[in-house]
Amino acid sequence: METKNFGRLSFEPESELEFPSGLPGFESRKRFVAVTFVESDPLVYLQSLEDPALCFITMPILAADPCYKLRVNGEDLEQLGLPQSRQPRIGDDVLCLTVVSVRETGPTANLLAPIVVNLQNRKAVQAVSPESDYSHQHALMPEEASVCL
Amino acid sequence: MLVMSRREGETILIGDEIEIVIAHIGRSRVKVGIRAPRQLPVIAREMKLVREENLAAAANAPVSALSDLLAHLQPVSKQTQNR
Repeated sequence: METKNFGRLSFEPESELEFPSGLPGFESRKRFVAVTFVESDPLVYLQSLEDPALCFITMPILAADPCYKLRVNGEDLEQLGLPQSRQPRIGDDVLCLTVVSVRETGPTANLLAPIVVNLQNRKAVQAVSPESDYSHQHALMPEEASVCL
Repeated sequence: MLVMSRREGETILIGDEIEIVIAHIGRSRVKVGIRAPRQLPVIAREMKLVREENLAAAANAPVSALSDLLAHLQPVSKQTQNR
């Protein structure tokens, strides 16, 4: 497919991710593919298959916060087709990504609402976790760095 | 902010068209029923934050800002590989 940021992109159908409810603010966008490049590791670009101009920059959540504790509510577990009996494990059951925003004040990651992908069926959800104290704008670069900019 | 105390089953009225009902009070959660005109969006606060954050994130990031972030995230050995 043609994309705004990467030009022509080809991918395997099996690498497609399905968001049954889309993402907050983009509820109609349900099909994405995760794109990575060696040069931009560990960033994972989530390219929409339905809108060539729509692409989220994400990264594995543990790269943003190595101590991150994933808590997914019952509704989201159901959407993902995961059992209600326990929390999913990052790496074993699910891939967990955080959406990165780049602003003048520096890049931030949304730890409040991680993107959770069921590795078995490739279903994905942006799981808003109200009980957590995590920030939707977690600073990714230390303050000293932004002073130098 | 106006603060009121209500018991389970009681209602708060906002203007002529909005009703908030305290449907159930649990140990750590309150179940709230909301009657409001269709055109007024009713969402959890954190949902609004996430929605706004996604909209900001989807707006194109300047490549130069990304290279600073990558320099911060990548180990030094990988950076020398890229050069």
